[in-house]
Amino acid sequence: MPILNKLFIAGIFLLAVEGGYTGADASPELVKNKQCGMCHRFTPDEADKPAPDLFYAGDKFQKDWLENFLQHPEVIRPAGHTRDPGFLRGQPEFSPPHPALKTKEAKEMTDYLISLKILNDGPPLELGDLSKGARVRVKILFERDYSCIACHQSYNLARQPRGGVSGPSFINAGRRLRPEWVYQWLKNPKQFTDRGRMPLYAFDEETLRKLTQYIMSHQKDDSAQ
Amino acid sequence: MNRAYWLITGILLMTILNGCGQEPEKEPPAPPPEVSVPPVQTPAPRAHPVTQETRDTYQFYCAQCHGTEGHGNGINAPHLTVPPRDHTKADYLETRTDEQLFTAIQQGGLSVGRAPCMPSWGATLNENTIHSLVSYIRELCQCEAL
Repeated sequence: MPILNKLFIAGIFLLAVEGGYTGADASPELVKNKQCGMCHRFTPDEADKPAPDLFYAGDKFQKDWLENFLQHPEVIRPAGHTRDPGFLRGQPEFSPPHPALKTKEAKEMTDYLISLKILNDGPPLELGDLSKGARVRVKILFERDYSCIACHQSYNLARQPRGGVSGPSFINAGRRLRPEWVYQWLKNPKQFTDRGRMPLYAFDEETLRKLTQYIMSHQKDDSAQ
Repeated sequence: MNRAYWLITGILLMTILNGCGQEPEKEPPAPPPEVSVPPVQTPAPRAHPVTQETRDTYQFYCAQCHGTEGHGNGINAPHLTVPPRDHTKADYLETRTDEQLFTAIQQGGLSVGRAPCMPSWGATLNENTIHSLVSYIRELCQCEAL
């Protein structure tokens, strides 16, 4: 038996003995303990709640980002979620900071959340990178033609955050979101919610891909602009 | 005797009546000159009246930028290059026709030569809803197109 396999089995054994991470099966209990359901919906049938829906978290979030976020929460919606009772006043009643989890809990929670999907698994969306010229053209689409900047923070030419706060910030969206989800959301957000405040658009295929590329190009610690 | 009595009485009556001085017969007063008074402008009832659904739609979509009372002070307002329109100010809105407001909502600000921050809502809201939003904006500004 190769040495790596032995180490893997030994590792699982140690975790089980120490009562540590036990896999996704135990996660719903953790969700209950942390009272995640107070603010998040885990099924589309629940009544509106004032934080993002998590029943498609596996479609939406990148695993590494999610695990890090759960340990080191950051503000993604400066005005709170659109369903927060204080949203339109700019004074969310369920305001940050999001509770932070310990490393083991974050791993367990991430594994559970990543398993929550409503989209059929398809081939990964191959987008490639935007050239500098293409990026400028899509920036015009994003800011001028489709007014996305009115509600979402993006980078300005000096790479400073700029834009509205009623929608989630796109700063670091390229590390936070999965491109397949961004593409599907832009194509038809009603797949995920029928009560969104974002305008619907009938994008053609090329525009869908370009906007997805543009949103995914928002990455912290990335000099590309 | 009787004849003298009636004679004197008649003379006295004639004197009294003449003394009162009967007014010379006047011509009836001329009617006042006709002045053309413009009729009071009563706006025609709108074909797409404001309903509770209109107000809810405004709160759900428009208030993010235009504010819950339409003052242009929604939560996005401080972050926009061009401030959202204050829908309670007649100064500007009375210079816009209903059709222009409709187009701005349906096709976005750029379509009417205004700020690109205003997105197009034509794929989100049906025409009747947009018409009623125009009526609501008219209600907020208490103005009509000049």
